[in-house]
Amino acid sequence: MSARQMKLGLFLWATGHHIAAWRHPDAHVRAGIDIDHYIALARTAEAAKFDMVFCEDAAGLREANVNIASQTSRSIGFEPISLLSALAAQTERIGLVSTASTSYNEPYGLARMFASLDNLSGGRAGWNLVTSASPIEAANFGATGLRPHADRYARAREFATVITGLWNRRPAGHDGESFSVRDPLDIPPSPQGAPVMVQAGASDDGKDLAARTADVVFSAAQTFEEAKAFYDDLKARLTAYGRQPDDVKIMPGVAPIVAATKAEAQAKYDALQELIPDNVGVALLSSYLSISDLGRYPIDGPLPELPESEGMKSRQALVIEQARRDGLSIRDLARYFAGARGHWRIVGTAGEIADELQARFEGGAADGFNVMPSWFPGELDAFATLVVPELQRRGLFRKDYEGRTLREHLGLKRPA
Amino acid sequence: MHLAVSLNIAAADGQDVLDFGQISTFARQAEAAGVDMVIISDSLTSGEPSTSPFEATTLLAALATVTKKIGLVASASTLAHQPYNLARRFASLDIISHGRVGWNATLRQSPLEAANFSRPAGIPNDDFRRRAEEFIGIVQGLWRGWDADALLFDKAGGRFHDPAKTHVLDHKGEFFAVRGPLNVARSPQDMPVLAMSGLAGADLDFAAGVADVIAIEEPSPEGARATCDDLKKRVLTAGRTPDALKVLTTVFAPDLTAARLEAWLGTESCDGLIFALPADLSAINGFTDRIVPELRRRNSDRSAYYADTTLRAHLGLGDGGAQ
Repeated sequence: MSARQMKLGLFLWATGHHIAAWRHPDAHVRAGIDIDHYIALARTAEAAKFDMVFCEDAAGLREANVNIASQTSRSIGFEPISLLSALAAQTERIGLVSTASTSYNEPYGLARMFASLDNLSGGRAGWNLVTSASPIEAANFGATGLRPHADRYARAREFATVITGLWNRRPAGHDGESFSVRDPLDIPPSPQGAPVMVQAGASDDGKDLAARTADVVFSAAQTFEEAKAFYDDLKARLTAYGRQPDDVKIMPGVAPIVAATKAEAQAKYDALQELIPDNVGVALLSSYLSISDLGRYPIDGPLPELPESEGMKSRQALVIEQARRDGLSIRDLARYFAGARGHWRIVGTAGEIADELQARFEGGAADGFNVMPSWFPGELDAFATLVVPELQRRGLFRKDYEGRTLREHLGLKRPA
Repeated sequence: MHLAVSLNIAAADGQDVLDFGQISTFARQAEAAGVDMVIISDSLTSGEPSTSPFEATTLLAALATVTKKIGLVASASTLAHQPYNLARRFASLDIISHGRVGWNATLRQSPLEAANFSRPAGIPNDDFRRRAEEFIGIVQGLWRGWDADALLFDKAGGRFHDPAKTHVLDHKGEFFAVRGPLNVARSPQDMPVLAMSGLAGADLDFAAGVADVIAIEEPSPEGARATCDDLKKRVLTAGRTPDALKVLTTVFAPDLTAARLEAWLGTESCDGLIFALPADLSAINGFTDRIVPELRRRNSDRSAYYADTTLRAHLGLGDGGAQ
């Protein structure tokens, strides 16, 4: 297969990415306490030849308001490195990528966890570096307040330097601002050399760190233009670090709803949207905008003027731009946003969805996509049985794995 | 009599390590012999440089998917982890294994560790001990954060859980401040089992108050009996029933002659035995060839073991403190 191939990740999230997924009549409501559910999802993705499954993470509840939290399924779930270690024993080929925080771990400890996952899976592990922007998480780690954005990224940069040094057997010994490590790693390298480095930060600091250290970048972009701008920006930053454009794969999130006809797909989407309680939608939007009191504004009115947040600068800008562009009320935006959490939503037939993915892939706006099914297992099954064969028919996606490791799937070099 | 196997998968530098197939085969053979639990460690307590293919908790997650009954316990250091992260990890492992998991904690620091965890000057032993005690209390507190009936799964009513049945910990102590609650559901066995090993005399009262299992090292069954009696008195003093703690004696399996094995198995010196094994294929094979048949012979009726679902049930422990 000579033509450039699309990369596909399956973004796992308990009952599904839609905030009301758990209320869908066919959604598996006990997903967050059922390992067999995750094994089945990973095997479905592996049978469809996905490059990887990916787990997002937060070391704390996702919603401070307990009444709002209790109307969603997001307060409980598996710690993802444990989850993926279990999946490693139950899958053969698919990559296993987990999020972990540089703010609440030590590099030597995290290096051991991922090196172990990498060995358990025969070279299929990846680490998604996050700096953790939530004050709820901070309160579980002795902090009285969230550290400023710039400080978190300084720590993250040092963390990335130390952990890649440990994985790549660079000479031992580090004594820096945030960390010190004396010994080499006591876990030997896997067949892929070192876990794949993933990042999703879209701020200036985040993009620079990604350009310096990441193999894969997850992003969020609604329009082709936004996706293209992000793609060009990030690839351009690589030269400053002596890297080639192909050294980093950019994979925007996509939340597809697919059915045999567009009308059927739209009906599936509308039915899910109806399951979102207003207070939950507004709370989710507030949390993404990093403000706590969006609920005090009229729900049918426009989004108020907002100060720049310390938590998620880039995501906030994305959401605000969306609202202004489409003239949305708070309720409109909350519902729209709750459906895909700021990611790109496509509702349509397999052919229509493949068209859209192909346009971004061939138009220089993506190297692949991180697929976010609205609810599990149904929307993953629909994507795997309808969209993947269409992509394969067009020669855009592999019909079988060529390699055994995640680096081989992604076409990445072994680390030096 | 309870029986456990302790396997340290770390090998001295330059020695061969075990692969996942060898470890999982071993765990399944121990399971078939009715062994209550396997305890995994991933570094040498001597502090010598060593190599291990896996970290213990990640290995445990994988082993949980290829075994059905045997308890799975991992050693994890209080210096290498934050309490919130470690509580999440073991709570997750417990759900993955359907209630078969335990944490092996120690109050004695490994000599290599501090220097690799951003404490180049080290940490005084006494600080390490007080910090570890606080750490254990936080982890057990977080494990109790969700009531057993907190999850409602009420799709039509839009109520996923009952917020009145989740509890913040709001711990503020000498070394840690942790708000909680945990973002993992309650354990199928109420709480993961807490095992403790490598205890000094000064640790015993604390351990008797919180541990489900204590591993001791004694050269003879008689010595083990005396230590066991002492620990059970401390358990009473801590306000628990003597059966709430199981005291197991660690014996080094490769050194056991047939006569020594008979002496240990034939004496109710305590609540049971832990057969300790190094990361060495011949030692593991020696155990499965020589000791496992003996255990199977003595323990021919394993119906209770196969009926029980959780590690707490295997060990005859009560629940982990449901309110």
